[in-house]
Amino acid sequence: MILLAVHTLLLSVQTNRRFDTSFVRVWLLESLGPIERVVDLGIDGIGGVWHGYFALIGEHRENLKLHQENDAMRLELATRQEDALELARLRKLMDMRPSIGGNTVVTRIISRSPASGSQTVTIDKGSRSGIVKDSTILTTEGVVGRTITVGNDYSIVQLILDSQSAVGFIVRSSRKLGILKGTGAGSELALEYIDDDNEIKQGDELLTSGQDQIYPKGLSLGFVVYVGPRQGNFKTVRIRPSVNFGKLEEVLCMTERVPEVSIGQAP
Amino acid sequence: MTNRIGKFGLVVKFAISLIAVVLIQGILGYRLRVFEYFDLPLIITIYYGFTLGRPIPAVIIGTSVGIIQDALAGVPLGTNGFSKTLIGYLAATTGSKFDVDLPVARAIAIFLFTLGDGIIVNTLGLVTGTATVVNYTSITLHLLLSGLFNALLGLLMFGIHDRVTHASA
Repeated sequence: MILLAVHTLLLSVQTNRRFDTSFVRVWLLESLGPIERVVDLGIDGIGGVWHGYFALIGEHRENLKLHQENDAMRLELATRQEDALELARLRKLMDMRPSIGGNTVVTRIISRSPASGSQTVTIDKGSRSGIVKDSTILTTEGVVGRTITVGNDYSIVQLILDSQSAVGFIVRSSRKLGILKGTGAGSELALEYIDDDNEIKQGDELLTSGQDQIYPKGLSLGFVVYVGPRQGNFKTVRIRPSVNFGKLEEVLCMTERVPEVSIGQAP
Repeated sequence: MTNRIGKFGLVVKFAISLIAVVLIQGILGYRLRVFEYFDLPLIITIYYGFTLGRPIPAVIIGTSVGIIQDALAGVPLGTNGFSKTLIGYLAATTGSKFDVDLPVARAIAIFLFTLGDGIIVNTLGLVTGTATVVNYTSITLHLLLSGLFNALLGLLMFGIHDRVTHASA
């Protein structure tokens, strides 16, 4: 009972914003972040060796001696291919930097939220790299989310899929404004408070409007994949995020707030 | 003195295992998307509740694991702490009053505790205004799948532990 009361009190003071608990998060993040990074790198190494070597052992058993050299080269090739893929991803991010304007830093995701229902990830950069709270996180495809807890070397990023996330958007074609919220489950987004949903149609692209004072204007958020019948005041609209959240590895973090960006087509 | 060191060692062992469980959950959740349906910290809380059979250590374990989860997940501190504390207490009470050695009983208990945990966490999110459940259908589906996956993983983990315990005994 005492512990439940303590938790209730803790939740209450955070809701009223009377007590800042971020120091607890930062302390835990800084303490556990290095372990996560080491394990992440270890898994990468094991994965590379597995895909490049052990997974091929069965196929080469008959001619093991003849193919020993071949295996070694395959291992080398697999590692280089993995490096090349990573390099290509990083190059795409680096190419994108000039069009964003302002300072950016490339970071790597090292883990996801350990609590089900919460859509957050941990990245391996923090305030030492210039990241601050509410820094925008993006990829070449579009917006990933924003930082909500920043430690010295690690940060927690709230994905736009999270149920606490809300992003101001503008429909590219009709210029209607609204708010895009995360559903907390699955990889879909939900439209809320749109000016007028009569003109919304399948295939429409939603961009950040910049009105939330967090995300700069002009970044891609997602696409309308389904427009259903009206339920209550609004139509049933399903949004697919621009970013493939299942394949996130490296992301770009904006360390300087800029009012507007123009990537690809002008919004 | 030896007894004190023994108790301290036990506490350190528990602390390390709880931190490891939360980290494993985060790392596997990132590597394998299906792992977002699993909740290792919850399974561990239930497991210790069942095996210890005493509410006080069970709620301390639940509180600790929940607070670490909250801190690393970026949700308000106390959300999972509250839920896991309650689950720890209920698991300990269930473990002391009912026979939870049967796999079917364990599976049903883990399934129900997962639903309970999900409902508490989502309700606390709504009450504190930090979460907005937009799609009840997807949340329900997620909870049901999570309950099923947790029950299967829990059975596997409990089974392995039983074998190891019996072998060492």
